[in-house]
Amino acid sequence: MEAKISKTQIDRLGERLRKGSITDFDLRLLDEYRRSFTTAYAIVAAGIRRQLDLEPTGRPAKSTTSIAEKLRRESIRLSQIQDIAGCRLIVSDTTEQDRVVASLVELFPDNTVVNRRQTPSHGYRAVHVIAKVEQKGVEIQIRTTLQQLWAELSEKLSDLIEPAIKYGGGNESTKRLLTSASKVVARQEATEVILSEAQSATSGLGSDSALTQQTTEAIISGERQVVRSREEMIEMLHILIEDAARLKQKE
Amino acid sequence: MLFLIEYDRSRGKIVTFRGFGGEESRSAEQARLEMELDLNRRGVEREVVLLEAENEEALRRTHRRYFEDLAQLVS
Repeated sequence: MEAKISKTQIDRLGERLRKGSITDFDLRLLDEYRRSFTTAYAIVAAGIRRQLDLEPTGRPAKSTTSIAEKLRRESIRLSQIQDIAGCRLIVSDTTEQDRVVASLVELFPDNTVVNRRQTPSHGYRAVHVIAKVEQKGVEIQIRTTLQQLWAELSEKLSDLIEPAIKYGGGNESTKRLLTSASKVVARQEATEVILSEAQSATSGLGSDSALTQQTTEAIISGERQVVRSREEMIEMLHILIEDAARLKQKE
Repeated sequence: MLFLIEYDRSRGKIVTFRGFGGEESRSAEQARLEMELDLNRRGVEREVVLLEAENEEALRRTHRRYFEDLAQLVS
């Protein structure tokens, strides 16, 4: 089925989706194109389950709405979109995130890692691994619970208030609060790294009680910081929601 | 399992929700196409998405945006 659609046909379809006038023919063609990712998606999802013993939640094919929006937002061709098929893994913290990313890179050697912790996209933080299987890219999103909370909230605000919010647009106060919340997440991640290093150091100290005491205190302090950051973020998100509710009422 | 979701973004609410067994992927994909065709013909703007998860509970955990309102997301 895949061989029936040429790259030119795909990109011409992308142009029509960008313009917004979609026919039955276009929807059927897009459906056929999306289905060409089914095998690659199934291989990736099965690999994660079997080799990593993790349970991904998958989106075998990106929605028409999301594809059309991406084409309008970015100067990109339909054949260049890397997340037609994808799945998501939620992990507890950045230490676990790094471990899962390393396992995925090993499992799918033909890959591209997009580290949105190092280069956040409009506040969005996560790590994505694009695994190339059967000549098709499948995007695996690995998010910590806090990154996931931020992303879900940003998407919900985009749904309810303005689609641009997710991509750095929207009203100033919402933008400011989302940016601040993202910085809190970043701070928490930095603390997690310190905490993880301190824990590793403790395990190698053996019976040196003075150093162990010092490191234990560092760990306790780090754990308190993690709790504080989480509380701070939740508080900030509540303000954001009140702000969103006010905006909704004004409409 | 597969889940076909018809979501109204402006209201932030699910309009229809349908589950399929893991072996019914072709039926699920066909149902998605038919839903998109129908909505497009009627000029109704909705997000139609097909998601796979171990069960509905797992889906609700990783895609909370579809199921919860703003306040529930941070509760």
